[in-house]
Formats: sequence, C-alpha cells, structure tokens
Amino acid sequence: MKVRDFIRRDLSAVERGTPVIQAIKLLGNSGLSSLPVVDEEGKVVGIISERDLIRVLVPEYVDMLSSASFLPSMDRLAKKLREIENHPVERYMNKGVIVVHPDDTDLYAADLMIRKGLKQLPVVDEDGHLVGLVCRIDLLSRL
Amino acid sequence: MILTVTPNPALDKFYWLSELPLVEEGIVIRAEKSLTSAGGKGVNVSMFLAAHGVETVAMGFLAGHTGQIILRDLLSRGVSANFVWIDGENRTNVALIVRGREYHPIHIHEEGPLIPKEAVEIFLRKYEVMLRRASFVVLAGILAPGLSPDFYRELARRAREKGVKVVVHAGGEALLRTFGERPFLVKPDVRDAPKLGDLSVRTKEEILVAGKQAIAQGVELCLVSHHLTGDILISKDGVWEFEARVPLSTFRNLVGADDALVGGILVGLTRGMDLIESVRYGMAAAVASAKVDEKLCLDRKKIAQEMDQIEVRHQRLP
Repeated sequence: MKVRDFIRRDLSAVERGTPVIQAIKLLGNSGLSSLPVVDEEGKVVGIISERDLIRVLVPEYVDMLSSASFLPSMDRLAKKLREIENHPVERYMNKGVIVVHPDDTDLYAADLMIRKGLKQLPVVDEDGHLVGLVCRIDLLSRL
Repeated sequence: MILTVTPNPALDKFYWLSELPLVEEGIVIRAEKSLTSAGGKGVNVSMFLAAHGVETVAMGFLAGHTGQIILRDLLSRGVSANFVWIDGENRTNVALIVRGREYHPIHIHEEGPLIPKEAVEIFLRKYEVMLRRASFVVLAGILAPGLSPDFYRELARRAREKGVKVVVHAGGEALLRTFGERPFLVKPDVRDAPKLGDLSVRTKEEILVAGKQAIAQGVELCLVSHHLTGDILISKDGVWEFEARVPLSTFRNLVGADDALVGGILVGLTRGMDLIESVRYGMAAAVASAKVDEKLCLDRKKIAQEMDQIEVRHQRLP
C-alpha cells in the first residue's frame, strides 16, 4: 500500500509568522497533534507540535522528570503562555521536518513514525508542497 | 487542481416524510428516512470532483462541532481541505422532502457564523498559495455574515491575475460584482429570486436578455436554469438550450443537482470534452443526482446513462 492510499488530505497548516496562540487554536480545532509550517508557495519549511509548545511553557526540570507533579501551579504556565502567545511559531518550530511522498510505501511511513516517535507525518509532492498528512491511527486502521 | 471556495459551508440534513400535515396543534413528525452530509455549493462541487478522480481542494471557513463534522466528511470522500477555523458554529441546513412532491423540497437554512476580518486575511493568504496550483476556481454559495459583497470579486480578480479560470456559482450582488473580472462561467443561483440583477429570468426570452447583458459586462459563459429540466447557456457565439427528457416523477432529491451540474461541466472540461459535451455531462450528472436520495449521484455509469436523455438545441444570439 502506498501513502496516497491512506493520506489524510487535510491541508491545515500555519505560516512562519503565525502567532503561537493561533497555532494552539488550530491544533485544537483540527484535532491534529502537530501542524506543518508552510512558506508563501505552500512548501513545508517546519513543523510545530503540541510537544514543542509544551516544552516552551514548562520549566526544564518538569520536562526532564516527565511529571507535572513538580509544577508549582498552572498559573505559571498560563503566565508563560501570555508572554509567548504573540510570538511567531517560527521561533519554536522544528526545522528538521521529516516528510513522506504519496508514492512512498506504508512500511516506509510506519518505520519513520516508529523510529522517530512521531504521531503524524506531512506528505509533500515532488516540489515540496503540502498535500496532506499521514497519521498513526490511519495506518493502524488500514491493517 | 480545481479549487472551490465555500464561504458559508453547512451540514446538510435531509428528512423524507410520507406527508407534511398542516395542523394548528403541536405534532411529532416521524421521518421515513434521513441523511446527513457536508454541504454548501462549493463543498458539493468538490465532493463530486473527488468522486470522479479530479484533484480538488475545498476552502472556506469552519467553526465548532459542525465544522469538525463537515471536515471529517470531506476528508473521508477524498477532498483536500484547506479551511480557516473561526469561533462559532457552522450552519445546519435542513431539507424536508415529502413523498410525491420531491421536486418541491422545503428548506430551512441557518445564517452561519460571523467571519472576522483577521480570518479573511488568513484566508486570502491561503487562497493565494492555493491559486498557484489551480486550473479553475469555483466561487460558490451564499456569503457568510461579515463578508463584503466584494468578496467574490476580490477572489475572482486574484485568480484572473494568475491565469486561473473562474466559475461563479452564486447569486445576488456578490455574483454581479464579479462580472467585471471576466469570469469564465457564471451559474446564477435564482432560488431566492428568479433575477439576475434587476432583470427577471423567468422566461426564455428574459434569460436571453439577462445573459446577453452578463456577456456584455465581461462574462464568458452564462448558464441559467430555465426550469427543473432545462438550462440555457449563453456565450458571445450563441445560445444552447439543454433539455433533459425525464419525467419529474422520477426525482427523489433535487438538493445538490445544480452543484452536480457545475461539477459535471468541470469534469468534462478537465477530461478534454468540448464545452457543449461538458455541459451535457453536467446536465446528466444533475439529472442522475435528482433521481437518487443522496444529494449527489457519484455513480459514473448512472450519469453516462442519462447522457442519452439530454437534448441540445443551438441558435445564434438574437
């Protein structure tokens, strides 16, 4: 099976200059765990995930200990979010984007997701334009 | 790729009733059957195109729980979706279809969410990106609250500048204002009022007058529904009357037939059919759609069978 057979043709994406708060809203509405960041031509130049944003918000020691029980209060996170909500996502996006193409195999996409610990991958055409994404659940439901 | 813009998408709900009693007391009406689908004119065109293997991207504004249902339905049908999310809730449009009177459905349409200026700005940036890959753009349906009546004109202008052909499948002032941007095809929505601007389009003669005026104002092709089974195409090269020889009693659901018509024309054109054959294919798709409970007939065999029923008559523009 090829990626084109189970691609989710959702072109939800943000631009480099999109404020963090808008990216959070779009993540919530789209139900996606990450959003591709595209340039003026629709080419994928980065990715911003829930995890990237949480990393910015929580103190390093919480991230390191993988437990929110070390947080003094949620107010601190809210305060931090207010500080960065108008920052462009470009500041926090991951530039080393891993993508797949419509003609890649399901096995290749699955291997990438497992090895890199990713829930979803952007799918791009031969010119790098975003044409959709593949999600772990879409792969699983096709098995 | 064919881009469709539906500024005010909806969740369509259809209820088939054995009768619609007119009583003064409160009553419960039990539907014989119901169907739910993503809707809005451009959305419908995209669903038709995707079912025919034509690459299409649907754009517009989504909101709330209804928006999420619309998005899921579109994605499940192979439509690429590139919407801007806003606060509020998308429309739910209800059609009551009474057995024996299927060709006169009763519609209840909600208004739709207010589109804020910032959302329009985001939309326009996305639209510019998508135009780079488009061969046609379809501007379709009623505008959502908050959008300027110049919204379609602006989208048509940007498309024309990039050499993308524009189809306007809408009505009212928003449609009229696109004429100066020389759209390739306009399909006026005359459900609310059988008029194109100030001109009535009830009779064939009136349609020709209104069509000629649209052509004079810059429109390349003007396609107007004459009656349930007839459409008239007007261009500077002449007039074509399309008539489907099918009895009204075979119709089960007329909602979406117009969108199948537009989708069918675009399928024809992208497959290399000439213009008249493309419109015949669109008419066949509209008739096939009217004959099934579902909003759109996506069965290519059924559409092909209807082609034989579509007659075309040509005359010079009077």
